[in-house]
Amino acid sequence: MRQRTLFTILLGATMLSTPAMAQTLRIALASEPTAVDPHYHDLSPNNALAAHIFGSLIEQDELQKLHPSLATSWENDGQNRWTIKLRQGVKFSNGEPFGAQDVLFTFCRTQKNETKVSDSFVDVAANFAKVEAPDDSTVVIETKAPEPLMPTLLSALPILSASIVKHDKITYDVANNCGVTGPWPVVNNFNDGTAAIGTGPYKLKSYVRGSGIELERNPTYWGPAEPWATVRFVPVTNAGPRLAGLLAGDYDVIENPAARDLGRIANDKRFGHVITPSTRVIYFQLDVARDDSPFVKAPDGKNPLKDARVRKAMSLAIDRDAIIKRIMDGAAAPAYQFLPDGMSGALTNPPKLAYDPAQAKKLLAEAGYPNGFQVTLSSTNDRYINDSQITQAVAQYLTQIGIKAEVDAMTRAVYFPRRAKREFSVAMGGWSSGTGEASSFLRYWPATPNAAKTVGGSNYGGYRNEEFDKTLATALSTFDDAKRAELLQQAITIVLADGAFIPLHFESTIWAHKADLKVTGRADQYTYAMSVKPAK
Amino acid sequence: MNDDRLAGPILADTPLREKVLRRLRNRPTTRGAAILLGVLVLLALLAPLIAPQNPYDLAALSVMDNRLAPGEQGMAGLRFWLGSDAQGRDMLSAILYGLRTSLLVGLISTLGALVVGVTAGLVAAQFGGAIDALMMRVVDFMLGFPSILIALVLLASIGRGVDKVILAIVLVQWAQYARLMRAAALVERRKEYIEAAVNFGLPTRYIMFVHLLPNSIGSVLVVSTVSIASAITLEATLSFLGVGVPVTQPSLGLLIANGFEFLLSGEYWIAVFPGLALVALIMSLNIVGDRLRRSLNVRA
Repeated sequence: MRQRTLFTILLGATMLSTPAMAQTLRIALASEPTAVDPHYHDLSPNNALAAHIFGSLIEQDELQKLHPSLATSWENDGQNRWTIKLRQGVKFSNGEPFGAQDVLFTFCRTQKNETKVSDSFVDVAANFAKVEAPDDSTVVIETKAPEPLMPTLLSALPILSASIVKHDKITYDVANNCGVTGPWPVVNNFNDGTAAIGTGPYKLKSYVRGSGIELERNPTYWGPAEPWATVRFVPVTNAGPRLAGLLAGDYDVIENPAARDLGRIANDKRFGHVITPSTRVIYFQLDVARDDSPFVKAPDGKNPLKDARVRKAMSLAIDRDAIIKRIMDGAAAPAYQFLPDGMSGALTNPPKLAYDPAQAKKLLAEAGYPNGFQVTLSSTNDRYINDSQITQAVAQYLTQIGIKAEVDAMTRAVYFPRRAKREFSVAMGGWSSGTGEASSFLRYWPATPNAAKTVGGSNYGGYRNEEFDKTLATALSTFDDAKRAELLQQAITIVLADGAFIPLHFESTIWAHKADLKVTGRADQYTYAMSVKPAK
Repeated sequence: MNDDRLAGPILADTPLREKVLRRLRNRPTTRGAAILLGVLVLLALLAPLIAPQNPYDLAALSVMDNRLAPGEQGMAGLRFWLGSDAQGRDMLSAILYGLRTSLLVGLISTLGALVVGVTAGLVAAQFGGAIDALMMRVVDFMLGFPSILIALVLLASIGRGVDKVILAIVLVQWAQYARLMRAAALVERRKEYIEAAVNFGLPTRYIMFVHLLPNSIGSVLVVSTVSIASAITLEATLSFLGVGVPVTQPSLGLLIANGFEFLLSGEYWIAVFPGLALVALIMSLNIVGDRLRRSLNVRA
């Protein structure tokens, strides 16, 4: 007993002394960044890491609203010309001053990026016709087609330092190497730290894939200094060990503990947590184009997914509320469209996607499949929250209306390349709107592929609808916010009616942390050390 | 079985079959393990008849019944004696069916490995020279890698499925049989009756399969009983790591993996009960197999 008292006192003393020594912040990540190179792969964990080291011209706050960062102002002439004023007196972590040259170099690098994965960040500058720097603190961009979302696109682009390459005067002239005389940096130059030079609040100390990332405070940062001298990110893919690590004091903050485990920390004064609704929608994408789809087997030899009635039946068969209650433990909201209600361009009051198995069976019979057909649902098992459990539950619901569903859940490293090669018939997807606007989902997933316009890059189901494409194209080049939102709403209504995508729910993100910290949850699901402050 | 015959002392001329049976019976541990194994095999065989639910039929499951504690009743009135998993699967039924999968995989893959390994070993011993050297180097190569690694790489590339798991286990296990068979056959080949058969001018194939095989396979067969247990362990490990059987047809290993996620939430039954079943199965197989091996005096 006395030993225990002594232990409690010691423990209390250690905990009391923590804020005073608030030097190192240890964060356990559910999903590890795949590189330090900020232009390597447009992936949430990568983008989150990049924000620590590399600043961007414009910053998105926790609700995805835009704020000045390296740019102090941006202006459009009502046509295709954008003028951006840069912040003065900013220095990179290697002491070099930041200026228009670095912005031009960054734009060039997105087009000269040999090691990138699946065209990441190419789309930002794809629409640029001409970029000029009249002086060192001004950048003027002229686009080929109107780009109303320019500030949002720029907010997603981390800025590099031109000092990482040999160069003459940098010009935005991609065909002539932009004035760069040495080799362009590749992903490994960033991972080993040599090219990881940015204007962010932290700088890279070490990056060891699979074991952790260490950052230290950037003394040359232009903004208010961060409270942490060092930050350690440790990847712990399994939710159980992640929480166990927090309970044991190994981590200060953890990403996404399982919602069912929150009970363990809810009544414990030593810990706190935040639950934040995100824009990430989880859905199934159906192969609606091919007669011979790899994972569908119907008695008549056709692809039943081409029939809108079958797709409608599949959606009616799923009890979204039950999945949220029983599988997600309440930490999700049902999705009847692709962006949470009320966000820019989303329907304000979308028709509820009801659970009606009787009606589903009737529709199946009408479509000529009274005894159903066979289908395999493909999904990841380590990317989205409870992904493989969700897929199994959906398979259950489909089986109950007579569609014999099997499940193939695999690791994301295998899943994403296979999906890109269109090897699946019904594939799980998860998309969070990087722009906070409905156009983000619409331009990548249901749009007819068009490389020049950088739309339709993820249309693996082969969905085509001319009216939709026309509406989306008009929306994408409309500057008037209200008018654009209206067009996007029309586009969403068309996609929903065709049923080629079956939305399930919007994920909520959870962060659990020690009680002496304050964590601000972000709608984009990014885990930032900048979102963690001592509670005081 | 006549008990009187098994009661007397074991003599040099006691028939082998009786010797073995008697040694098995004389040890209480072994007897207990044999009975347990018998019960588990019976349960696995009768699973479709005695399981309260078909855990592989998705239409029979309901998400609304998920993660019920042992003894609770589901929406449709079914009582879940050992609780239910995250998909609303009855754990008792899932364990019975899981036992079936485990035993099936263990038996078929061991049999497959046996056929491949024995043939390879026999060929190596009979023909010698370059063929022997080449085959034994392949065997060395296979034994040099950790078996779990080979199986993981193979399954990661060909995908999930009971048939694929069996294939992977055959691939990692045949080498040990090949080595054992070759050694036994080499010893046997030096015996006079084989020389006599050769001098008679009997065809090689005849000598191999009619004389050499039956006389040298004994030890290999005995070792294979222990190997069934390791095949089952390997299947469970692979399924635990997520590359084994499909998620909709869980084996014991996959059930444990699923339950592992819920341990912190206090839902112990999803991992613990299948774990106990797996331990019981492997322990009883090991004890019986080991006893068998020792009573026949075979070195693995």
